[in-house]
Amino acid sequence: MAGEAGRDPRAWLAVDETAAAFLSRSLSSRPPITLPPPLHRAPLRPGNVVEIAGPSNSGKSHLLLTAAVQCILPKEWEGIYFGGLGRAVMYLDLDCRFDVLRLAQILRNRIAEGCRSAHLRNGDPENDGTKDEFQCSLENTLFSDCMQRFLYARCCNSPEFIAALKTVQSQSRREVSSAGIYFVMIDSIGAFYWIDRGSQPARENKGRTLQSITESVVHELRKLLQLQPALVLVTKAPIYGEGTTTANDFNRISSKYILADSTGLGYSRQEEERTLSNREYMPSIWQSFVTHRINLQVEEAEVPSVPESKVLPVHTSEWVQPYLKTKEKFSIMDVRLWMVLALSSELPIWHPVMSMSNLTEL
Amino acid sequence: MAAAGGGGGGGGRATTSGCGLKRRYAPHDQEEETMNQDQSSKEDWCGRLWNGMDLLKDVTENKHVLPTGLEGIDTLLGGGLCQGQLTEVTGPSSSGKTQVCLHSASHAAVKHMGVVMYLDTSNSFSPSRIATIIDGTNDLSDQRGFDLPHKERLKTMMRSIVCKSVFDIFGMFEVLHQLEVSLLNDKVKSGGRKICLLIIDSISSLLAPIIGGKYPQGRSMMISVAMILKKLAYKHNLSVLVTNHMVSAGNGAVKPALGESWKAVPHVRLVISREHGSNICTATVLKHTLLVFPLAI
Repeated sequence: MAGEAGRDPRAWLAVDETAAAFLSRSLSSRPPITLPPPLHRAPLRPGNVVEIAGPSNSGKSHLLLTAAVQCILPKEWEGIYFGGLGRAVMYLDLDCRFDVLRLAQILRNRIAEGCRSAHLRNGDPENDGTKDEFQCSLENTLFSDCMQRFLYARCCNSPEFIAALKTVQSQSRREVSSAGIYFVMIDSIGAFYWIDRGSQPARENKGRTLQSITESVVHELRKLLQLQPALVLVTKAPIYGEGTTTANDFNRISSKYILADSTGLGYSRQEEERTLSNREYMPSIWQSFVTHRINLQVEEAEVPSVPESKVLPVHTSEWVQPYLKTKEKFSIMDVRLWMVLALSSELPIWHPVMSMSNLTEL
Repeated sequence: MAAAGGGGGGGGRATTSGCGLKRRYAPHDQEEETMNQDQSSKEDWCGRLWNGMDLLKDVTENKHVLPTGLEGIDTLLGGGLCQGQLTEVTGPSSSGKTQVCLHSASHAAVKHMGVVMYLDTSNSFSPSRIATIIDGTNDLSDQRGFDLPHKERLKTMMRSIVCKSVFDIFGMFEVLHQLEVSLLNDKVKSGGRKICLLIIDSISSLLAPIIGGKYPQGRSMMISVAMILKKLAYKHNLSVLVTNHMVSAGNGAVKPALGESWKAVPHVRLVISREHGSNICTATVLKHTLLVFPLAI
């Protein structure tokens, strides 16, 4: 190698490309992606790995589904602007809790809203309540087109997961004829944590520990991202077990120290529980692979401006990496997200997230 | 690499459990053998890629809803127990969880929906109660046994409920493995009908003793059971119903047993409570397509 390069050292000093060319090339081949809130605060590009962490029932899978719908919808269709990306999504279900009806519901709502707002803009007063058959068949074609771009695979254990990652590239080319997968979603990366930890490397060359499995997973994902730049969205449920104190243990330990000012202690105890439950349990190779992190929490609260004024659980999201100081609040009702505006004021104002066009207002 | 992974997965589950017994977990050994055979070919991966429209078609055509026979619970569940999903019913003791199980079993038997497999961990299965429930249902809706005498009809219905007693986690692994093998081999069960409902009364009494404490094997067995149940439900269009009990959550409150790790496992969770003769049932979250917030009836 030294012999070859020695022939023309000046070739080393030749410029490959200028920074401007590099920037424009990367912006065109890996354009920034706008995801529905609350994922819209941090700039994301293909090749990023976003980890959505939170306790059970904090809305992680719902976020994945809304992002998936955003990806599979086309940008524009029959004159109606949807603002989607029109690319394929690969959903790897490790929890085996995916429900396709929920995805269908979210997609249909988005399509219906898009068509309705388009009609309102065109000023069609007679199409207010009723939809004619032509409209329905148009919506159905769009629906089936979009659903064809959603690819799904189930894995029941870690070896299957690794095998799936290896074959996803070749299998997806058979299914999706267009440019390829743009989003890779993994539901619950910690699904096999206990199974992998419990397994000991009993046999010499067949033993698999959590460390080696995570290394293989990261290796396969990196290979996949090299061939096909995609945005990776991963949900992570917290792991409770030996070494962490669960809520019960915490109550038992700290019950001795309950002071008269119970509200103050209660708040800090809740915060401490949360930091304990967000303890990082994935090996460091995974932690260094992840480029963005967002934490979700859920708590009960009133939603005053909603018509029926029910008590809805309020979800908060917090970007950990890159660290943003503001926390967003949102609530999920009728499979739509309602964002809180004006966090600083006394009474939060709730605003439904309808389409990408009103995101700029948020 | 795939073979090593399969071997590792099989070897992992065949190691000693927390109590020092070495048991053979046959389903995973079987997986290991098939993985060893498919060493070189990546395309022989046992799963496949589905696209959205295939999934939707599969759900609407194959996965039906099994009503439990209790109106309030059926309304909360959106029609009944979904095939391919794992439903959990939890509640304090004597709140009616076993009654829900018995009602679902008898309703499935009456409507000839298929064979019901009832795994009983606490000897709470009562054939006389099943007979009473079946007698109580409207006989006019049953068309198949139209000309048989009443006793014969009752016998055929009760024959489609198979009850097995399991008393520990290893027994349950054995039963589930046998079920999996017989379903894979397409054996005819009990008169030519396929199993449609699997009820495990009080799965928490099997799992709760092993998950506490410092050993990770207990939790790994719980997650393994959960994955086996979900795989059975999805592949063979079964509906799985399990019951859970409540433990104290500090400050006098109660919460479902089996901890936070189990929260992510069932598709639907219901909480039942009873107050002196009236049944008050609340549904907690974790349902995908229905309402997200709690609803009480």
